Amino acid sequence: MSYSVIGSSVNRVGGRDRVTGRQVYSADVSVAGTLHAKLVRVPCARARIVSIDKTGALGVPGVRMVFSGEDLEPPYFRYGPVFADKPIIAIGETKYDGDPVAVVVAETVDAAEAGARAVEVQYEELPAVVTIDQALDPGMPLVQDPDTRGDSPFRDTNTLKEWRFGWGDVETASADLVIENEYSFPMISQFAMEPFAFTAAPDHDVMTIYTSIQIPTKMQKTIADLLGKPLSKVRVVAPDPGGAFGGKQHPKFEPVLAYIAEKLQRPVRLELTLAESFYAVRRTSARVRVRSGFTRDGKVAFHDVNADWLIGAYADITPRIVEKGSYAGGGPYVIPAVRILSRALLSHTTPPSAFRGFGVPQMNLAIESQLDIAAKKLNIDPMEMRLRNIPRKGQNFLPDDPACDGHWDQVIARAAENIGWNTPKESNRGRGMALGIKMSATTAASYSVVRLHADGSATLLCGTSDMGQGARTVYAQIVSEELGVPIERIHVVMGDTSTVPFDLQTTASRSTVYMGRAVYAASQDVKRQLQEASSQGSDSNEEILKSLFGKVSGEIIGVGTARAEKRDGHPLGGHTAFYELVCTAVEIEVDRETGGVTIHKLVTAGDVGKALNPQHVHMQDDGAAVMGIGHALMEHLIYDERGRLRNAGALDYRIPTTKDTPGKMVSVFVENEDGPGPYGAKGCAESGLLAIGTAIANAVADATGVRIRELPLTPETIWSALQEAGDRS
Amino acid sequence: MQSFKYARPESLPELLELLEKFRDRARLISGGTDLLVKLQHGNLAVEVVIDIKRVAELSDRVVTTNGWVSIGPRAVIGRVVRHPGIESAYPALVEAGRIVGSVQIRNRATVAGNICTASPAADTVPPLCAYDARIRLVSTEGSREVPLRSFFVGPGKTVIAPNEVLAEIRVPAPHGAMGSSFDRITRRRGVDLATINIAGVLHDNGTAVFAFGAVAPTVVVAEETSGDLCDPTVSADRVDEVLKTLLATARPISDVRSSKEYREAMLLVAARRVQRTALERLTQARGGRE
Repeated sequence: MSYSVIGSSVNRVGGRDRVTGRQVYSADVSVAGTLHAKLVRVPCARARIVSIDKTGALGVPGVRMVFSGEDLEPPYFRYGPVFADKPIIAIGETKYDGDPVAVVVAETVDAAEAGARAVEVQYEELPAVVTIDQALDPGMPLVQDPDTRGDSPFRDTNTLKEWRFGWGDVETASADLVIENEYSFPMISQFAMEPFAFTAAPDHDVMTIYTSIQIPTKMQKTIADLLGKPLSKVRVVAPDPGGAFGGKQHPKFEPVLAYIAEKLQRPVRLELTLAESFYAVRRTSARVRVRSGFTRDGKVAFHDVNADWLIGAYADITPRIVEKGSYAGGGPYVIPAVRILSRALLSHTTPPSAFRGFGVPQMNLAIESQLDIAAKKLNIDPMEMRLRNIPRKGQNFLPDDPACDGHWDQVIARAAENIGWNTPKESNRGRGMALGIKMSATTAASYSVVRLHADGSATLLCGTSDMGQGARTVYAQIVSEELGVPIERIHVVMGDTSTVPFDLQTTASRSTVYMGRAVYAASQDVKRQLQEASSQGSDSNEEILKSLFGKVSGEIIGVGTARAEKRDGHPLGGHTAFYELVCTAVEIEVDRETGGVTIHKLVTAGDVGKALNPQHVHMQDDGAAVMGIGHALMEHLIYDERGRLRNAGALDYRIPTTKDTPGKMVSVFVENEDGPGPYGAKGCAESGLLAIGTAIANAVADATGVRIRELPLTPETIWSALQEAGDRS
Repeated sequence: MQSFKYARPESLPELLELLEKFRDRARLISGGTDLLVKLQHGNLAVEVVIDIKRVAELSDRVVTTNGWVSIGPRAVIGRVVRHPGIESAYPALVEAGRIVGSVQIRNRATVAGNICTASPAADTVPPLCAYDARIRLVSTEGSREVPLRSFFVGPGKTVIAPNEVLAEIRVPAPHGAMGSSFDRITRRRGVDLATINIAGVLHDNGTAVFAFGAVAPTVVVAEETSGDLCDPTVSADRVDEVLKTLLATARPISDVRSSKEYREAMLLVAARRVQRTALERLTQARGGRE
């Protein structure tokens, strides 16, 4: 198909504002008469709160309130996207390093800080659950009170929940080669560029929350439940996030601010420091044990997986992360037998939430490393090994789910050709490849409105959060394509629940597909109305609009909806809209003396269906690549044995700088217009991150002959592994 | 951030008077790249911050005099490493200065500040120690000179008295041919603190001076006079042996940045690299003289 603006790299809508500093982020929002909040914390993982003396703080000029758990009465309001388990402030006990015990509210930021320093907290440090082994130890304390866990069969343990997936029989599956290994994936910070900043502003009977959030409608529901208000009286204003990556799906401190603001009838604002953001959210860590069988000709015979995921003191969205990450844990392959047991384990650490790739990279490290180990033992090229196991388009590989929806062999071929897989390489260099697959959205509810104004310009209303992925641009392209309105005459309105129609969420690389379809449908609705109004059927938009609104002005309103209903009985509650499939290939060099890795080239190849805006796809891939290099080589939260976080902040939590980016970074994609989105598009926002850690680990093994089964591959980790291997040989 | 008073003296006597008055309740600011972070994070509370950027007597330049190179207390790192007199004679200082922080930091932060913050991981300190730099301190009571090697007392602690200010960093000009180099180990390539850092200076007379950072509460300086490190004909095994004796004075610890074992191993790796480069430079310098 040929299109006018679809498939072309039009510049980012709002891009100029972002790079010139004109963009208004949540931290820039300023409401007149705002009070400022500062959180009070105690420096340990878990503590019984003995007493909180507020006198000193209340004596600080400007301090208006010191709020703590004592100010609440049971039954306590609790919130969370899966389990309502989190109180708005610690009640009686803190459950992780950084868990706030009080909020000081004052007329100025300085007064709030001085007040926070003046709050005297008496506390008793209690033993804490910090590691997976501790969480599994029946002798360790329970993170959550069994009485708050309803009829959960695991209520008397630190297991939040367990999942079992699979098919075939791994016990009887025959294999020529069986390998068993354990892999560790670290805790990682989402590390958005913008700070977390929240404002709760009451005005008569309406509570407005200003926050950088991926799911404004769920925030609206949480605050409505908290304050006992109808949805119509809670307004969530969500400026485009300055990076979110999954970490901004669910409420953080908005509920406590809304509660205080409602009490005081004054707006209250809280901005977290960068260090504080490490106590607000992180990525789930995991330990994955896998026993895999292979046939002599390189076919995967079975995977038997035991995955333990260390979540925090509160569940947030982690049950869904573990569930979805585990479900397709065997990877994009046709495998006769798979058995997966996954457990989400509670701990006294920062509560994790979603992070680009959801639970996929954790499982990916295990499965895609196993494939490489087997390939080496069977003397089969790792790329060839993958080609032998991937499904062809239309072939089933997950029993309860749609068949393979793309030409995945083409994806591997594109990656191989761009990394020069079959070309000779210099000494000390290694190449590695890994595939990644992610289940996308299984349910959807996206609504959009297109208003075609009398002058032929258009306003689009939709509830997606444009957190850098470029949703505004792609939607403007769709409206432009369908209605012939130039991009610069289209205004995209997002991020205000009082203005835009409902959207379920900006997650799971879904927005191009689902909201894209709603925008497309709304545009078609406008088109239909134009056609109905057209006298001969051939009038231009301008002529039709003139005839309609020449005397009494007006506009044409088009409405579009895209929904996917829940599928009862399906393990994930629904079919994935599409598979997000990627092949990452890297060429690296290892300094054997220091353990340092140099990435010479990194290739991301994806199956995108149709790149509505190729430049945006490249930006997603490049962004994910740099982020993935952080996961692979340097990022991890470090807790000490008492559960105190040792590297909160930019100084000792390292993310890649421009000097750490690959010598060459390439993004390529396969387009067969075979996706469920408009024009055959599939989502591609997360794929770039799914397999990078594994691809780099595979390349390090290729370069050094030493297999490392944990991330990050810091120079020290690699050096230690080389030393150990040297000692052994 | 806790509030503080701000003073901006225009002359040295005015500055010294303020220091006499406030003593350890005052902190000096020039680039502020360390101080502001500490104030912002609440790790430090002071009564008054004294800005020295308008004090005319405190130079922001590098001046080459007979037998010495003088680095002014307000000279920013970016400028110091581009000075021809530094570039030609002190490559270890240039290599160290070029990787302190980021471009923005280097154009703001001073060498004097890097020294006075007294971080065990400061990058410009090992080369300056290896070059045997001297620090001139002044107060209302007068002036004194301290070798940089005995300037540090502990992390964040120096011999500067509460009423003193660093007035000059003096680096002796090389006697005869000299080769030097700097290297460090970091967790990433851009903008990082040293896991360990090391500077080595090899003299024509066979003396080798090595200084290591981030391996003890203060910089460690070790000197060696066998001549083996300055001799291109000496075997790698012998060089290793000598380097190991030099490194024995280091006392690295484990922390969030590195384990003790890794630091120990990297000291040797970096020391070898520094010795190799320094020796090439020494050989070149010797050749140039002949």
